Amino acid sequence: MDRRTFVKGSAAVVGAATLPRTPAQAQAAPDKIRFGYAITQSGPLGPGADSTTVSNYKLWNKLVNDAGGIMLKKFGKKVPIEMVAYDDQGKPDELLKLTERLIQQDKVDMVLSPYATHMNLAQAPIINKYEYPVIMTTATTNKTYELGPRWPYAFWNIAQPREASQPLSKAIADLKKQGKIKGRVAAIYPSVEYGVENNEAFLEAAKKDGLEVVFNKSYAFGASDLQPLIREVMATNPDAFLAFSYPPDTFMLTEQAQILGFNPQFMYVAIGGVFPQYKDKFGNKVNGILVYGPSDPKAPGMDEYAKAHRDLFKQEYEPGGVNVYAALQLTQQAIETVGEIDRKKIRDVIANTTFKTLWGEIKYVKQLNANPWAVGQWQNGELTVIYPADKAGAKPLLFPKPAWS
Amino acid sequence: MILFEVFLGGLLLGGMYGLIALGLNLQYGVARILNLSYGEFFMGGAFTAFFTIMLWKLNPLLSLFVSLPIAFVINWLIYQYLMIPLVRRAADQDALDADVVLVTFGLFFVFQGLALVNWSGDLRGYSFLSSPVHLVGATVAFNRLFAFLAACALAFALFLVLRYTRFGTALRAMTIDPVAASLVGIDVRKFSALAFAAGGALAAASGMLVSTFISFSSTIGVEYTLKALIVVILAGVGRVTGTLAAGLVLGVVESVGGYLVDPQLTIAINFGLFMLVLLLRPTGLFTRA
Repeated sequence: MDRRTFVKGSAAVVGAATLPRTPAQAQAAPDKIRFGYAITQSGPLGPGADSTTVSNYKLWNKLVNDAGGIMLKKFGKKVPIEMVAYDDQGKPDELLKLTERLIQQDKVDMVLSPYATHMNLAQAPIINKYEYPVIMTTATTNKTYELGPRWPYAFWNIAQPREASQPLSKAIADLKKQGKIKGRVAAIYPSVEYGVENNEAFLEAAKKDGLEVVFNKSYAFGASDLQPLIREVMATNPDAFLAFSYPPDTFMLTEQAQILGFNPQFMYVAIGGVFPQYKDKFGNKVNGILVYGPSDPKAPGMDEYAKAHRDLFKQEYEPGGVNVYAALQLTQQAIETVGEIDRKKIRDVIANTTFKTLWGEIKYVKQLNANPWAVGQWQNGELTVIYPADKAGAKPLLFPKPAWS
Repeated sequence: MILFEVFLGGLLLGGMYGLIALGLNLQYGVARILNLSYGEFFMGGAFTAFFTIMLWKLNPLLSLFVSLPIAFVINWLIYQYLMIPLVRRAADQDALDADVVLVTFGLFFVFQGLALVNWSGDLRGYSFLSSPVHLVGATVAFNRLFAFLAACALAFALFLVLRYTRFGTALRAMTIDPVAASLVGIDVRKFSALAFAAGGALAAASGMLVSTFISFSSTIGVEYTLKALIVVILAGVGRVTGTLAAGLVLGVVESVGGYLVDPQLTIAINFGLFMLVLLLRPTGLFTRA
């Protein structure tokens, strides 16, 4: 106990002795709830971390405090929140050191997720060791399937490779059954973990669904020209084209497909497809393109969220970051349900509750989000959510994708 | 037929490599400054073009009227006020290189930081001349073709200046031997500053041209500094026309190799060629032995 809390504590004890109080007020409420995060702010991943994650931490911090804080039932009062932030420079070892520091020296009440799959994975064992519940918001990898259950304090929020790929395979199989498509699929992916795993998960699903994969090749991440590859794809005459791509290639292959007049009836690009900049660049040519990791702009509360984001940062929110905000919302709900900072209880509430958030209903099964938004589609110049099709807010698939005009 | 298109695509890609390296070769070859913040001017040129078309709805080529003078002046100032003190105190080229690398590395962080603060780290891109052009049965993107032609024009113009003007002769003399050049009455400091500034302006121009077909963000600079550096080393330091040729070789080998072997290997092929040249011809492909 440092001196300040000691003094406050004694004041509360004295107060309790002299004035009649309800038992709930007898114990001093904390004057702040402190959230700590170590995240990449410098280096190549800094910008992505900033727009996806940090911006939502800042926005949430402001909105919660504007509303008076988080309600702690046990003390019968709202307690404002405070953020402690460090830069992990994109280095996992730095992240681990800083996480220990947040927990042991800064003694934060809660820890928030870092950015990017490998960093989320790196942090999971350590927050688990100290029993800090953390919702990992930017990790998508097959490893979560085996490792998830091993770390009961880590929760995984976004669509993992199977959840992201199976709906695509199923959609193509359905179209084939309806006779709208022959089911000839071409898939390409950058040779990075994300691309490889999603491609594998898709191939597995496609095999089960009886699809014919006529082309499957990887390309170098950071390639400056994908035209030859798209030519090869075109030569196989597929009716569905999938790219488990990263943002720069997502942009490039969309442009080069247009230049070559490659018009698949079903087209999917992965990361970067939800960016507002994607729409800015291609205008209405984005219509019909399927994308990874969307959010529903029509969900209840999204208008307010979009406005608050615009007011604070003077720019539009990133659809791929809405899940981060949702994770903060449900963390708050869990804390309020427990009514105090008891991390074990908070963890159990997170594990066993169905939360209503900006990103739809979230329920964890074995710490994995059971039904995250996986696939979206641009329709009439707007991002919509398509799969999982049974989730509230899902729109029907627009098929076929309109030809490039 | 596809192979021809792949070859053509490689040529265009190579033109881009040559283009981004031209300015660096002026800076490194003539002014003898290895400028690690070079790519930041490329990034600045790309952003100026982006804002010109997306914000002000003007032709992005017009952005050159803004970005070129700004890049020229900033680079001139960098040379005059940051590099000259280093040049003065350096005992030899090696000592100078070490100092310069540290200072320009710092500059790279400053410029990138400023860009991040002002323009965020979002990925940007816009559509300009993104229509197909059909050449002898092959299809290429107009914006890539345009950047390629601009690269050729710039390299040719630079070649003419270096070969046929007094100023160019002075620059060539400095490339070969700065000490002797100053002995015959060439104002090495002034001309170096001009060459350095012109290199920065070329970086901005190449950023503008490349941004028509490649998406970019505030952090893209370092990637293009490295690409440019590889081309400069391949070509040979100070070989301006060789720079374009080296870029073309790199582009064609990358594209055709990637197509014939495996698209996963494009970048590996790139570096493989680089290492081969370093081993067999360490002074560059286009230097007189």
